[in-house]
Amino acid sequence: MTTPTGRTDRTLQPQEPHRGKRSAFARVPSAVRLQFSPAVTLIGVPLSVFFAAWLIAVGIGWWIHTMQGSGDSSGEPMFTGAAQAPLWALVFVAAYSASHTFPFSMALSYSRRTFMLGVILAFGLVSVAFGAAFILAAWIERVTDGFGMHFYTFNLPYLTQGSGGIVAAGALAATLCLVLMMVGFFWAILYLRAGLFTLWVIILGLAVVGLAGTMLIFQNDGWPVIWEWIMQQSALSLTGWLAILAVGLAGLNYGVIRRATPA
Amino acid sequence: MSVNTAPAAIEVAGLSRRYRNTTALDGVTVRFAKDQIHGLLGRNGAGKTTLMSIIAAQDWPTEGQVRVLGHTPHENEQVLPMMCFVREDQRYPDDAQAKHAFKAASLAYENWDWKFANRLIRDFRVPEKTKVKKMSRGQKSAVAVIIGLAARAEVTFFDEPYMGLDAVARQLFYDRLLEDYSEHPRTVVLSSHLIDEIAHLIENVVLIDSGRVLLDEPVEDLRDRAVTLVGRSDAVAEVTAGREVLNQESMGRITRTTVLGRLSEQEHQRVRDLDLDLQPVSLQQLIVRLTTRQSAARDLNDSNHGHGEGEK
Repeated sequence: MTTPTGRTDRTLQPQEPHRGKRSAFARVPSAVRLQFSPAVTLIGVPLSVFFAAWLIAVGIGWWIHTMQGSGDSSGEPMFTGAAQAPLWALVFVAAYSASHTFPFSMALSYSRRTFMLGVILAFGLVSVAFGAAFILAAWIERVTDGFGMHFYTFNLPYLTQGSGGIVAAGALAATLCLVLMMVGFFWAILYLRAGLFTLWVIILGLAVVGLAGTMLIFQNDGWPVIWEWIMQQSALSLTGWLAILAVGLAGLNYGVIRRATPA
Repeated sequence: MSVNTAPAAIEVAGLSRRYRNTTALDGVTVRFAKDQIHGLLGRNGAGKTTLMSIIAAQDWPTEGQVRVLGHTPHENEQVLPMMCFVREDQRYPDDAQAKHAFKAASLAYENWDWKFANRLIRDFRVPEKTKVKKMSRGQKSAVAVIIGLAARAEVTFFDEPYMGLDAVARQLFYDRLLEDYSEHPRTVVLSSHLIDEIAHLIENVVLIDSGRVLLDEPVEDLRDRAVTLVGRSDAVAEVTAGREVLNQESMGRITRTTVLGRLSEQEHQRVRDLDLDLQPVSLQQLIVRLTTRQSAARDLNDSNHGHGEGEK
């Protein structure tokens, strides 16, 4: 067959089915495992950050404790923000999944839908693991009275003393983790889809909207209302709000990846 | 020219892909017969990678249709697992070593053959402990080639697989591809501009230039389209008189001329009488000449019909 100019139109006829119909979700487990290959990115790095940040925080606590004089265990409790450190590591890891693992998944001929399901499940697993680690760490701090120094990184009263206790705090940590990973993934996949210029236009657009929103709240004296709303929330209700946000972001990411190209 | 009657693995009809300022593909209609090795040839920027990307559903067309094994490939898990297209500039997970890439490929492709993969890893001397992103160009190409071969996907694309590979590794790739293809026939599309190097591998040539198909023909037919004669200048001139000359080189009284068209039985007799040598035509040379000729004719045609502007 020769079509020297390639101009001849031809109607494409469907052929005989080549093999039995396979499930559209048959490769989802492989797509999940793809996220953990290599395991160091999604497991090793955040786990190291988790323990390193905790260790450093406890080290600083011990230093302060000794400065105040040893043997004094009745001092005021101290709280740190080191629990959030692994979350920021996971934001970057999630972005790498969009910028590097997604192009590789295309070479392995995954559909974007299968890849995205793999991402959601893998991020979900990591978030649940983070939530479990949070619960375990908060429990250790609780039973040891903050290592005998009243020094807390995970057992934070606002999170762990509501209904549901430290389990609710763990659930909140897990959903927050999932939301942040979805956000990290979003910016990287948006860059692949739309390019640097559009990415900045969207970032600036969001900044303008955020600024306008803040100004409107100021104008209408809305801050006390918002602050009150936040204080009324429990770890469980915040978990619910974040879960809704995570689902929304997952949908948004799928919308973006549907037309993203690997290069 | 004969018609390739084998069933099609890939059918592309009226395919165009336009970006903001460029037209990467322009009304491409072509079919790739099943269980054959096809050479997708063309100059840099001709549209080879774009065409393979769209067929493999990594990209999508502005216009036109693609069918792979009878299915539309975009987001279609029925047909996607039967295709493998590792890009020439493929990106891998950030910390991935070659073993991670192979493991992931083995999970994605049900026909993956670890025995074959391990043999190729040894053959190509792929370092096991080096991250893929730290590898040399040749080592990266080797990783891509190994995934493409060991996946044994029904439709496999190799995107300029020789990039960075040394002569030994290139030969190794060609040998292993042919060996494995003969045991496990499948549809292979090999993009390249090293035409003569892959000439012995490919059964069919698809040549694209500026996003259009210039040529789609079995290699055997293509070779029959021209003939090279070597011998005394006057004798060569006598036989080639009146034919379109594709190439001519003279050294003293000896001339080497490539002309279009087959020789008749009488002309063959005359070649023997005049003691001329008949040599196989270099596919590369033939394609370069045909490309130049057809591009020129097309450009002329375009400018005559006023279609030339706005395309590039």
